[in-house]
Amino acid sequence: MKEKLMFQNAPHVRQSESVATMMGDFVIALLPIYLMCFFYYGARSLVLGLCGVFFCVLFSLIGKIVVKERAKFDLTPVITGLIIPLLMPADIPYYIVISACAVAILVVKVPFGGTGNNLFNPAAVGFASVALCWPEVVFRYPAPMQVIEIFGESTAKIANSPAYSLAIGAVPDYEVLDMLLGSVPGPMGATNIFVVAACGIFLMVRKTINWITPVSFLVPYTLLSAFFPRIGGSPFDALCYELFSGTIIFGALFMLTEPVTSPKRDFGKFLAGLSSAIVVFLFRYFGGLEMGFANALILMNVFSPVFDDVCEEFLKVYRHKDGIVASFKKDKKQKPEETVEVNLIEEKIETKEEEAVK
Amino acid sequence: MSFFVKGIILEQKKEPMLTRSTLVMRQEFEYFDCDFPDAAIDELSAEQIIELAKLAGIVDESDGKMLWEKLEKANLGEGGRLIIDAIDDEPYISSQMSLCVHQQDKLALGIELCEKALNPAKTYIAMYKHIFDVNFSLPHRVGKYKVEKIGGRYPAENRAYRHLPKGKNSVVIGSCAALHLARAAEESRKMTTCFITVAGDAVKNPRNVEVPVGTSVEKLLELCGLTEEPEVIVVGGSMTGRAIFEPENELVGPTTRGVIALCKSYSGGKSYNCIGCGRCDHACPKALSVSTMRKLAEFGKYDELRHYDAALCIGCGACSYVCPARIDIAATIIKAKKQMELAKKEDMA
Repeated sequence: MKEKLMFQNAPHVRQSESVATMMGDFVIALLPIYLMCFFYYGARSLVLGLCGVFFCVLFSLIGKIVVKERAKFDLTPVITGLIIPLLMPADIPYYIVISACAVAILVVKVPFGGTGNNLFNPAAVGFASVALCWPEVVFRYPAPMQVIEIFGESTAKIANSPAYSLAIGAVPDYEVLDMLLGSVPGPMGATNIFVVAACGIFLMVRKTINWITPVSFLVPYTLLSAFFPRIGGSPFDALCYELFSGTIIFGALFMLTEPVTSPKRDFGKFLAGLSSAIVVFLFRYFGGLEMGFANALILMNVFSPVFDDVCEEFLKVYRHKDGIVASFKKDKKQKPEETVEVNLIEEKIETKEEEAVK
Repeated sequence: MSFFVKGIILEQKKEPMLTRSTLVMRQEFEYFDCDFPDAAIDELSAEQIIELAKLAGIVDESDGKMLWEKLEKANLGEGGRLIIDAIDDEPYISSQMSLCVHQQDKLALGIELCEKALNPAKTYIAMYKHIFDVNFSLPHRVGKYKVEKIGGRYPAENRAYRHLPKGKNSVVIGSCAALHLARAAEESRKMTTCFITVAGDAVKNPRNVEVPVGTSVEKLLELCGLTEEPEVIVVGGSMTGRAIFEPENELVGPTTRGVIALCKSYSGGKSYNCIGCGRCDHACPKALSVSTMRKLAEFGKYDELRHYDAALCIGCGACSYVCPARIDIAATIIKAKKQMELAKKEDMA
C-alpha cells in the first residue's frame, strides 16, 4: 500500500467540471449554427469552419512549441476557429479566414503567453483586422438560399444586408420574422437569431457563460435603439432592426462572454455589459463601419481590469465594515486546529519541493 | 451581500455511511471510580457533572479542548445558548451526524447533562441543511431537543460560528463529547474511543466506526476493507485534511473526523492555464479576490497581496474545489500567507 501513496493538496474532492467540459460546451453550442449555415449556403460554410479550426489549432501548436508553454492543450483555438468564419459572409475567400486566424492566434494570443493571458478577444481582433484590410469583401454578403461553390471564385448573387441599410439611414426591406429565421443576407452565423439564442440559452443553463453579461448588454442596447432610432417609423421596428441585424446577439452570447477578457465578478460583468452596450451603440450610430461590434469589444476589453478594481474597492469596504475581520479573530480563538492543519499542509508542500529539487 | 459571495454547494456523498449503524471495534473499556457511584442521573449537580467529565477525560472533538474546562469556564448569563455541534458539512464526513440518527437516547441524555451543568436559556443541535443524497429524512428532534438546520453553503461550520451571538453567551459542544458524557454518567466509562468516518471510493465497506484512541490508519482501513490499492489516504476532512504517506504510523485522535482512501490522485500531470472564469472569486466565503491573489502569490509579490487582504484567508479550499483548470489555488495562497507572516516576524525582529 505504501509504495503507491501520492501527495495531494488540500481539497481532496473536486468539481467534475473542467476547462475541457466548458470548452466542449462552447463547441457543442456552435455546431447547430454551422448546420443552419449549411442549410442556407451549402457545404462551403462547413469547409470554411473546418479551415478556421485547422489553421487556429496549427498556429497555436506552433506557438506552443516556440514559447515553450507547459500547460495542457485545450480547445480554445477550436472555438476561435469556429467563431471567426461565422462573423464573415459565406463566400469569403479562404485566405481571408486564414489571415484572420493568424492574427487571432499569432498576434493576440501566443506572444502574451497562450490561453488565459490574452488581453483582447482573439476572434474579435482577427475579424477587425481583416475588416480593415479587405472591407469590400468582408462586408459583401451573398443572398441566402443559394448553394455557393466550395472552391474558386464565388458567382453568388450579392444583396444588401440590413446592417448596411441601417448604416446609410434606410429602412431594411426585410420582414422581422425573416430576420429571426436568418433568411436575410449577413454574416453567415449571426443572422439566424433563433438558433443563436437557443445555443446561448444552452450555455447559460449549463452555467458555462454567466447570464449577467448578455442580459446587461442586450437590455440597455434595446432601450438605446428604441429611444434613439436611426430610421423613421415606430420605435418597435427600429428596435427589431437594430437588435437583429449584424452580430449583436451572436456577439453578446459568444464573444462578450469570453471568460479570459471579461471581468471576474458579477458586478464587474454587469458594468462591462452596460458600458459595452453604450459603446457599441455609439460605434453603430456615429461610426463608419456597418459592424461596430468587434471594434467596440476590443475597446471594452481594455477596461475589464478597471471594472475588477472597482469591485475590489467595494469589497474592501465590505470586508472591513461588516466585521469580517472581527469574526475572523473570533474564529481563530474558537477553532485553533484549523491553523494547525494549515501548518501541516505547508510542511508537506515544502518537503515535496525539496524532494523535487533532489 | 450574496451578490459578491456565492459560496459552493458540495456533493455530500454521505451515503452509505449515514444509513449504516456505527461499527464498534472489539476492545476493553476502562472505567473510573467516583465518589458518588450510586447517585441517580437525575439528581447529579453541576459540580458532579463537571467532575464526571474530568474523571472520564472527555475531549471535545469540535475544538480539541477538555470538556470539563469548557463546562467550568463557560459563564452563560441571561439568554445563554448551548449548541451541540453535529454540522458535518464536508463531503463523506458524518461521524457527528450519525450519532443523532443512531444513538439518539444516549445523545439526549448527554445533552441533558450538559444543560444541567451550564443552565442555558436555549439548547439546540446544529446540523447541515443541504444533504440531498440521504435516503431517509434526518431527525427533527433528538429526545426533547430541537435540531436546527444550518443553511448556507460550504463552509457552513465557519458561517455557523460567525452567526453565534457575540460575547461569552454561547457554548459549542461536539455531539461525540456529549455522548461520552452520558456514558460516563451511566457506566462510569472513561473516554477511550473516538468516532471516525472511514470512506472513499477505495474502501469496500464505508461506515462510521468507533475505535480506541491511538488506532493506526492502516488498522482502520483493514477493518473496513479495501477494494483496491489507494493512491491517496487523507486524514481529517475531505476539504481540509492532509494526505499521509505512512498509514501504519499515523494514529487517530479524538479530533480526527475521518479517514478517506481515494483510488485516484488529482495531482500529477499537467494542469490547464487559468482561463479567468472567476468562479474562485465567487466561491470564497471571505469575499477575497482569489484569482488576482493566486497570480500575485505565484510571482511572490507579497506587498500587493497584503493590499488584497490575503491574511483573511481561512484555507477552506472552496476555490480549489471549483477551479475548472484544477489549479491548487488554496495551497498556493496558504503558502504565500505563511511566508508573508514569516517576513513580518523578521521585520519585527
